[in-house]
Amino acid sequence: MFSLSEIFTLTLIRATVRMSTPILLAALGLIVTELANITNIGVEGIMLVSAFIAVAASYWSGSWVVGILAAVVAGVLIAALMALIHLKFKADVFVAGIAINLFSLAFTRFLLKNWFGVAGSFYSPRISPIPRINLSFLQIHPVIDTLFNNYNLMDYLAIVLVFVFNFLIYKTVWGLRLRFTGVHPAAVETGGISVTTKKLQALLISGVLGGLAGAHLSLGYTTQFIENMTNGRGFIGVAAMYFGGVAPITTWLASLFFGFTEGVGARLQTMGFPSQFILMMPYVATVFAITFSMIRQQKKLTQKQPF
Amino acid sequence: MKPSILDRLSKLQSPINVLAAVLLGLVIGTALMAIQGHNIIEAYTALFNGAFNGRFNFGGTLERFVPLLLSGLAFAVASQASVFNVGVEGQLYFGAIVAAYFGYVIVGLPSVLHVALVLLLAGLAGAIWAFIPGFLRATWRVNEVCTTIMLNYVAIFFTSYIVNHVFKNPNIGVPQTPTIQDSARLARIMMPSRANTGIFIALGMVVFFIWLMDYTTIGYKIKAVGFNAHFATYVGFRSRWIMIGTMALSGLIGGITGAMQVIGIHGYFLDNFSVGYGFDGIMVALLARNNLKAIPFVAFFLAVLKSGAIGMERFTGIPRELIGIMEAVIILFAAAEALIVIRKRVSLGKGGAEVV
Repeated sequence: MFSLSEIFTLTLIRATVRMSTPILLAALGLIVTELANITNIGVEGIMLVSAFIAVAASYWSGSWVVGILAAVVAGVLIAALMALIHLKFKADVFVAGIAINLFSLAFTRFLLKNWFGVAGSFYSPRISPIPRINLSFLQIHPVIDTLFNNYNLMDYLAIVLVFVFNFLIYKTVWGLRLRFTGVHPAAVETGGISVTTKKLQALLISGVLGGLAGAHLSLGYTTQFIENMTNGRGFIGVAAMYFGGVAPITTWLASLFFGFTEGVGARLQTMGFPSQFILMMPYVATVFAITFSMIRQQKKLTQKQPF
Repeated sequence: MKPSILDRLSKLQSPINVLAAVLLGLVIGTALMAIQGHNIIEAYTALFNGAFNGRFNFGGTLERFVPLLLSGLAFAVASQASVFNVGVEGQLYFGAIVAAYFGYVIVGLPSVLHVALVLLLAGLAGAIWAFIPGFLRATWRVNEVCTTIMLNYVAIFFTSYIVNHVFKNPNIGVPQTPTIQDSARLARIMMPSRANTGIFIALGMVVFFIWLMDYTTIGYKIKAVGFNAHFATYVGFRSRWIMIGTMALSGLIGGITGAMQVIGIHGYFLDNFSVGYGFDGIMVALLARNNLKAIPFVAFFLAVLKSGAIGMERFTGIPRELIGIMEAVIILFAAAEALIVIRKRVSLGKGGAEVV
């Protein structure tokens, strides 16, 4: 048998942070759309297309910056497609999301075959990865260094974005209007602001964040593209968003929790424990998380209503 | 509620929308072929031959028709109660592993009984798996799209554990279960293809569910819950249990979908065997606008595309992924005008606030 001390080490904390980043980036975008009353499950597809475009752009240009920028543009374009179907053609938000996901899977498969002539996955040493950041002032103590230093640029960026969005949502007029778009759209319209425009903004922002999440998956977390490589991370982002109560900071904690289950799972797997039960942990945890958050929400609702 | 002119118009509008979506998909796919310098007439000839020419090709189309038909039916049945069963994929995994187990361990039953028993047990497994998200949705409004997607992964990992560690064919390196008894197998109808008598069972199930939905009180209640759960509760239907039951029925069909692949096609359960049959079913149901009578036609159309794509790739070198794009564009545009589904959603989603 294995001992617990082998699993719970300082590097597990590192793994937790690393694995939470794509979930967190997706979840931040999902918070923005959810506040505008759009549950954007299409984020899975946005991430997948962005991950592919990031690899392609980085491969051709030799620059990870170009890779990230291209991924963000791709994310925004797919989000715009989602907006077209949902806002303009009035498709149900889940139907639109499912359609976007099916489309993205077929689209990346097609481009993979068409541009690189391969099926399944694409790797090349010419793909330029997003670098890790070494902050020399953290090297004062080995523990601090292990815990906080040498993460991927995107890991740091995601944490910065948590606070940026916390500020935008709660401290700006834009955020107030966004929140009221979900709570009371009629009031927003009465105030002379177009609800559709607000929703479009929210979707495009989720495209940017989904694009970053995708770029991180294929250029930061790994350096390759694999068919369907998002593998439900967008959906786990949905769960983290609900689990975190649709607010940036608590959602960050939720993402860390999901990253933690993945990290422990990966470790147990290397120790020869049947991996399947560990691998299903995040998904089971997600079902529980959504269920509990809904029960809590319903309790609040019944307390508010006198009848 | 009196049917307004708008209601009647939207009824007529929806098949037109679907046709428009299909046309757009075909146009974009054809344009892609042309841009890449392929001969379009040659491509479509190869596509047609790949789907229809000869027993092997046509059998291949029928072989793909069955899972599309059944998973589409599963999704559409849940939709009647306004529940989105994105979990057909997981349900078919459970159905398949159960079918592989009982197809193997039960010996000496007459074939008809064995097949019926295996399908029943597989259906039950799928129904139980679908019960979970159904219960969560009906009780606490836990979004069934999210839970079913999560439970799909759980089902895939769980069956993978079974086939790798508990019930594995020891003679083969690949994680697959032992081959089922001959008595549990469905007879082939179009050798050398793998098309089998399962197609008749599947079509029979479609007829049964059309009858159930359109000509029985149960179907009426299900549709009432789908249209307006609050109203259904108000007039005395047990909306919660009707919703859960419909989800279980959908899961039953999902389980049988998986079982059919085991007893009709492979003869065993193979780890990770589904190539997204469950998600293809969503496509079928969306294109059919959840109309059960339209499902066989849509399923057949998509089966032709899938089967033909392989022939087209072999004879013209056009990658089959291009047909995947065509399907995706069709589904995107078909979703874009899902007007009827929206109304159902709105009346359910807002906790009665929007119901006048």
